[in-house]
Amino acid sequence: MKLFDYLEPGTIGEATQLLYDCGEKPRILAGGIHLIPRMRKGEIEAEYVIDIQKIPGLDRIVTEGKGGVTFGAMARLRSIESSRIIQSKYPVLYEAIHQITSVQTKYMGTAVGNLCVGTPASDVATSLFALGARLKITGTRGERIEPIEKFYADYHLTSLKRGEMVTGVVLPDSPPGMGTAFLNLVRTHADIAKISVAVAIVVEDGICRDVRVAIGAAAPTVFRAAKAESLLNGEMITSQAVNKAAETASAETRPITDLRSTAEYRREMAKVLVKRALEKALARAGCRG
Amino acid sequence: MKEKVILQINGENREVFIEPKRTLLEVLREEIGLTGTKEACDTGACGACTVLIDNKPVLSCLTLAVACKGKEITTIEGLKEGEKLHPLQASFIEHGAIQCGMCTPGMILSAKALLDENPDPGEIEVRKAIAGNLCRCTGYVKIVEAILAVTRGE
Repeated sequence: MKLFDYLEPGTIGEATQLLYDCGEKPRILAGGIHLIPRMRKGEIEAEYVIDIQKIPGLDRIVTEGKGGVTFGAMARLRSIESSRIIQSKYPVLYEAIHQITSVQTKYMGTAVGNLCVGTPASDVATSLFALGARLKITGTRGERIEPIEKFYADYHLTSLKRGEMVTGVVLPDSPPGMGTAFLNLVRTHADIAKISVAVAIVVEDGICRDVRVAIGAAAPTVFRAAKAESLLNGEMITSQAVNKAAETASAETRPITDLRSTAEYRREMAKVLVKRALEKALARAGCRG
Repeated sequence: MKEKVILQINGENREVFIEPKRTLLEVLREEIGLTGTKEACDTGACGACTVLIDNKPVLSCLTLAVACKGKEITTIEGLKEGEKLHPLQASFIEHGAIQCGMCTPGMILSAKALLDENPDPGEIEVRKAIAGNLCRCTGYVKIVEAILAVTRGE
């Protein structure tokens, strides 16, 4: 690994200023699960490693007055997984983290770090798309809030500008009639997903009031299957509607063939997983479609 | 640029003079001479490098040593009390849970972290707790039995 300067800012302001001032190659270190192995292989070069673990308050998981929950950039995957409020109000996020098998990875890794890698195969990102999460992004000129759907411009490309870092994730309050589900397919549970699906649906009197269908590892970024969603929104939920939505979602994927799976299989399994995830989410919403 | 770093390992302060790029695994094995923590994949996939930091199991091959200032690091060497083995160590020997031994230190520390948090886990919880520790020799059955035996006070 190449030599670098190791910096430990004590505040977010110091961290963003360092990010801005340190030229081309500063990198934030949170859990290190992604950064360290890449640096050791030479795949990432960093002249400055900005360790944010000492910044107070970044690890907190906070219930907001309006019923939502926010967590900071140092909130470890394990703390989020263990949080009672996350388990009860945002089970889709709990499920996405829980199926990550390595305990050590979850004690070290942070959800925000996971999101900032920018891989479409992030189970955490997929579940946050389904929850309509928003990201707190802080830079040298202040803070902005961005819906997670706008955060990924392309494969491994986020909207972060020079001097900016994600400092938190905001989860909106989950309405009482909402059901969610997370499903993925893997070669082994220690491996990255071939494809993942996260769904959130709100149903009232048999009619879909709101739905989000998020798909991971089947396009250059995590995405919401907007056409599938529009087939369900405002409509009576029937098994035909669910099937049609699943087929439509599958057609919206742009998968590749790689060492984990083929484009064809991913496309086909998108249909299967979206159908199953919708059925599971509907059952949890208390609705028999 | 090398810098002086004081690490608290198994209750003792150890001073090393290292570059920030050194991993905790390298520093434990090469600077301090504590070779109980093993280097196997060195990429965070196998768990052989597992140590406890503030009682939580982490991968020392992916941890920068400079980032560990002020934290309590526990390695496998820190488990015994005098000459008396920790119950997990004794149980692993008793139950044939050790073959080549490479996974063992990491396995035991992951198990210790589980039992410190939950003294009465079921088999599924034991298996989940060691899911980040790979063993190529034993097939895991004896390892799980050894850990469960400790919970039953055997």
